[in-house]
Amino acid sequence: MTASNLAKPDREPLGSTIGRYSAVLLFVVFIVTFGTLKPNLFLTASTFRLTLGEGVVTAVLALAFLVPLAAGTYDLSIGANLGLSLVVINWFAANTKAPILLVCVGAVLLCCLVGLLSGVLVVRFRVNSLIATLGVSQLLSAVALKVSNNRQIFGTFSDGFAGLGTTSLFGIPMVVLYLLGLALVVWFVLEHTPAGRYLFAVGGNPDAARLAGLNTNLLVYGSLVSSAGIAGIGGVIYAMRVGVYSADVGPGLLFPALAAVFFGASQFSRRPNVWGTLVAYFALAFGVKGLQLAFGPGTFWIQPLFQGTALLIAVALASRQIGRTRRSRRVQDTAAPAAAAAALSPPSEPGDATPSEATTHTGLG
Amino acid sequence: MDALEIRNLSKTFAGQVALDRVDLTVGAGQVHALVGQNGSGKSTLIKVLAGYHRPDPGAVARMRGRDLALGSALAAHDAGIRFVHQDLGLVLELDAVENLMLGLSYPRGALGRIRWPEAVRQARERTARAGLDIDLRRPVGELDLADRTGLAIARALPEADRGPAVLVLDEPTAALPDADVRRLLATIRALRAAGHSILVVSHHLAEVLDVADRVSVLRDGRMVATADAADLDHDTLGRLMVGHDLTLSAGRAAPVTAGGEPVLTLDEVSGGTVTGLTARVHHGETVGVAGLSGSGREAVAGLLSGRMPRTGRVTVGGRPVRTASPAAALAAGLAFVPGERARYGVFPNLTVRQNLTLGSLRRHVRRGYVDARSERREVRRWIDDFGIVTRGPDALVTTLSGGNQQKVLVARALRRAPAALVLDDPTAGIDVKAREAVHAILTEHTARGLAVLLVSTDSEELARLCDRVLVLGHGRIVRTLRRGTDLSATAIDHAQVAS
Repeated sequence: MTASNLAKPDREPLGSTIGRYSAVLLFVVFIVTFGTLKPNLFLTASTFRLTLGEGVVTAVLALAFLVPLAAGTYDLSIGANLGLSLVVINWFAANTKAPILLVCVGAVLLCCLVGLLSGVLVVRFRVNSLIATLGVSQLLSAVALKVSNNRQIFGTFSDGFAGLGTTSLFGIPMVVLYLLGLALVVWFVLEHTPAGRYLFAVGGNPDAARLAGLNTNLLVYGSLVSSAGIAGIGGVIYAMRVGVYSADVGPGLLFPALAAVFFGASQFSRRPNVWGTLVAYFALAFGVKGLQLAFGPGTFWIQPLFQGTALLIAVALASRQIGRTRRSRRVQDTAAPAAAAAALSPPSEPGDATPSEATTHTGLG
Repeated sequence: MDALEIRNLSKTFAGQVALDRVDLTVGAGQVHALVGQNGSGKSTLIKVLAGYHRPDPGAVARMRGRDLALGSALAAHDAGIRFVHQDLGLVLELDAVENLMLGLSYPRGALGRIRWPEAVRQARERTARAGLDIDLRRPVGELDLADRTGLAIARALPEADRGPAVLVLDEPTAALPDADVRRLLATIRALRAAGHSILVVSHHLAEVLDVADRVSVLRDGRMVATADAADLDHDTLGRLMVGHDLTLSAGRAAPVTAGGEPVLTLDEVSGGTVTGLTARVHHGETVGVAGLSGSGREAVAGLLSGRMPRTGRVTVGGRPVRTASPAAALAAGLAFVPGERARYGVFPNLTVRQNLTLGSLRRHVRRGYVDARSERREVRRWIDDFGIVTRGPDALVTTLSGGNQQKVLVARALRRAPAALVLDDPTAGIDVKAREAVHAILTEHTARGLAVLLVSTDSEELARLCDRVLVLGHGRIVRTLRRGTDLSATAIDHAQVAS
């Protein structure tokens, strides 16, 4: 073969490499900047614990979104699924004496069932996943509103249960460890098992996947059940951490989660990936925290501004650098409709807000 | 006066020379063919012309005596250069009128309303100029490839009141069956008669010699020859392209005695455009399927692979295969190399390794996870065996040339150690060397007993590889040609047309 056949450059251009690690760079920049500006406030263990802990639930939601996205399927119902899980747990904890473990398992299974319903709509009735899960999301909101009577529900949880969400191990909040555990599982499945490989194959070329003998329907079902189940686990973690249901918790977390996934998909391997998602999410979370600490409590509007800007810049950079490859177009193609759909859902509520924060923010609505 | 004149065109990508001081002159009202293997720089040259790439400094271009800025799509368009790219750029969901208007502009009425009758009239005028007779309101996806190509040409034609243009056709016949190629060549001649100049990129030597006035040959980024087509023959041209004699692998030896139980049987298989197809493929035998577009040939592979539903009975090694299930067909020992690589074969987001092993990872799975190292070892073996040109197993499959992607797909099918293999136009749009390589692979595996059903639009390929060729017409077998008695490329051509 001639040399020109081998001419594909071995090294990617520097700009492209920087683009692929922009979230890591951003992370470092924030730590250095705010560390210099507010060393006593920002560079403390408690700030780190707080920022990590607050972000866990949204990050779990991002992991949920990642699984079907690998297969080219959108699950926009994950926020509402998280809300469903949370309302169920709180209702049982407030109104019955059922063992909490059982209730949590039941809530997650219920979410899985919802995922199955989405699967039926997408696979059996061939409804576009964006639309199907948007519809399911609305149905779930209705259920949650009915159960809660549009009020907050304060479940009575044992100290043991709350302790699972609020204590630390070796100085690391327990919930962060749950997130890491979950991330490891999702990463392992996506990157190192046949199932993960097959999900990406379906995402890359569904027709070819079917012809290669893959059971594409089963894969789509599986991915939607997984995303719903992971969202349900997010609800359990929220219940441990905060313990109160209010209607805006689930759906409000959807957009930040999607933003993290799409930002993350421009990182590292340049396809939806676990570590890119987490790094992207927490880079932004620390940036927001730093700004809040540096400029005071009037900066509650910073978070969406930040997430929006970072997402747009990261994806635009990635597309410019490799604008002539198919994959970057795919990133854009995937990002655009989902972001549009997410914008249709209720306005986002910053982060995984504790009740006290939530009340301060109600002035926004 | 010359229509288009290019001097001293070079293009370097990250230190790699893709085009090296290329000169090219396209005469007014001439058909000029540009030939070369994949990787010779043809595509780069076209992309520079189209303004997609900027050339290295020093290049000069003139269009009808006027200076032309290379590397600008707008300048090329204004100068009257029009392109029909290999993928045609049609939107399959839209109809012909809408597709034609995409590149132009709709006639508008009050309030910006589209004047549909006028749009249809314009569309009809354009398709007529391209010698095309199609239903303008049907989704383009329902047209066959020849008509789609014609439509893309019709769209590229300059407005009727503009002077002659230079039309650049990039591999227009890559996926066309012979009779459609003839139709397309007729269109090209008609355009020439209308005063246009046409630059055709191709590696089908026969059609090049058939239609072109002049031929330029690119090899490794250099223009190695430009000559009148009348002064060239097939062998000379092939030598110029490859740089040495074409070593066509000799045709297969005498047919395997087709004894014993057949491996692959088809009984009264119908579906798509096929009705009642019955055939037997034995151990070590290669059976070809030929036919013009619309003959049912296009559907055969889809019916057998389970991509399309069918009726009738198919067995592999005596076991019946369920309809409409690729997984079931594979499980029965029937593997396939699908046609339309990009659509049905390649996963653009995965690496060579992941593409090659997809569908049967089992041998690399240890306790639930994929052992990437043992997988890489296996893939390296296939890369060596099949001469796949790639940076390595972990390169993205889209960085490979079409021919090498095709080898990956053949490897994907063969690593399952199937009893029977169905291929759908496996060498369409790939270069001479890759075609040779695929043929060698097939010959080797049939010698070891693989039963092959080869669906192809390439008569020469069928004549070379097959023991028998079934020629389809109107969905049925109209003729069976046998090696040693009446099988030859010309016989296939004649039988197809006669049907």
